[in-house]
Amino acid sequence: MNTNSNSYVMTFAVILCVAVSSVLAVLATVLKPTQQAAAEFDRQKNVMMAAGMITRDDSRLREELQKLYVDRVKQVVIDTRNGTEVEGDVDALNAAAAEKDPKDAGRYRSIEQALTVDGKLDALIMPVSGKGLWSTLYGYLALDADKNHVKGIQFYKHGETPGLGGEVENVKWTNMWIGKEILNDKGELVSVTVKKGKVDQSIPREKKHYVDGLAGATITSNGVSKFVLRDLKAFGTYLQKN
Amino acid sequence: MTSTVAPTVAPTVAPTPKAPLFGDEEKRIVLDPLLDQNPITLQVLGICSALAVTTRLDVSIVMGISVIAVMAMANVAISLLRNLIPSKIRIIVQLVVVSGAVIIVDQVLRAYAFDLAKQLGVFISLIITNCIVMGRLEAYAMQNPPWRSLLDGIGNGLGYAWIICLVGTVREIFGSGALLGYQVIPDAMYDAGYVNNGLMVLAPGAFILIGVIVWVLRWLRGYVEN
Repeated sequence: MNTNSNSYVMTFAVILCVAVSSVLAVLATVLKPTQQAAAEFDRQKNVMMAAGMITRDDSRLREELQKLYVDRVKQVVIDTRNGTEVEGDVDALNAAAAEKDPKDAGRYRSIEQALTVDGKLDALIMPVSGKGLWSTLYGYLALDADKNHVKGIQFYKHGETPGLGGEVENVKWTNMWIGKEILNDKGELVSVTVKKGKVDQSIPREKKHYVDGLAGATITSNGVSKFVLRDLKAFGTYLQKN
Repeated sequence: MTSTVAPTVAPTVAPTPKAPLFGDEEKRIVLDPLLDQNPITLQVLGICSALAVTTRLDVSIVMGISVIAVMAMANVAISLLRNLIPSKIRIIVQLVVVSGAVIIVDQVLRAYAFDLAKQLGVFISLIITNCIVMGRLEAYAMQNPPWRSLLDGIGNGLGYAWIICLVGTVREIFGSGALLGYQVIPDAMYDAGYVNNGLMVLAPGAFILIGVIVWVLRWLRGYVEN
């Protein structure tokens, strides 16, 4: 057989591609439930990390951590328009709302409440996400029960440059957020802004509402400031009401 | 001087009717890449990922296992196809097979070792570009039967893995004072003024370390550059 004739080369290439892609398709389908469970567990861990319930290198077993999440974290869906809690699946609610008015596609959002051992509200954990430089960043911002002080922030998915924008994951940086305030003295929402450069601790306004910028990652920093403010605004009505 | 070789002369290596499953030749295939033909220290291949993923031992181990798995799968697949692959497109065929193997490893890691998969991130996908993998396919699997190709893949993968695990061990101990996430340098030393070596966490630290390993191994084995 002439393995260098054009028709043989074409046939071989097509068969190889189909064979390899079939194998991969089957594998991806088989592994999907396990992967989703792993990703969901990772999300739960990040919620708990943002709320300060666990640390990143917590050595407890997966089952224990999942139990902790089930026991102490409550997920609720809220209507961002009037700030009330609603029943149902967030995606289904949004789809139904978007059908009536396309602008309402993000009207319902889920929010997580971390409870203390005796069931009191300890922290509110809100999903925040938006564009950085290369990618969409996904994370959680946790507020204290007073709905003003930041309890923690975590990013669990992004495609920013490691070492630059990727430093959003760095504990040293996320720790800077702890204790910052999202409301100014008059009680208006100002959010927390990522400054370009270092925060000047002698200026009270900066000390309260700003964190250090990420060196070499101005666009990621600006992106974070922007979408944190936007998402906090979306949750604003709910935060005021409760 | 002999005259020109007559076509009737028996081939130097007669195909034995019943080759041993794990004879001397097979042993040599697995053991050679560990020291004398080590892909990193002798051939200086696969350095980029060796620099990037070796800040901690656990990540190095997972990367090592992944490379072994990819090389074993790709070597066997290419060896089975070696007589069918048109030589015009053989490099592309090798790439497709390697990519397939890498995606398999990546998907499995995402399902069963999500945290590590996240830390390794793009470096698992970059195994595709690891010169060791393509190098072995082109140099070995294209000419040899599947069983020996499998051993060759595992051997070279091991040669890569043990070096990066060694680098990972040294970097984690001196860079973070820990091993596999457990603190090994006692607090008393930190109290006495000991500080972790920041260089070890960065890529140049790995570069220097690999340089030292290459030197020591070549000196031990008496390697001379031709």
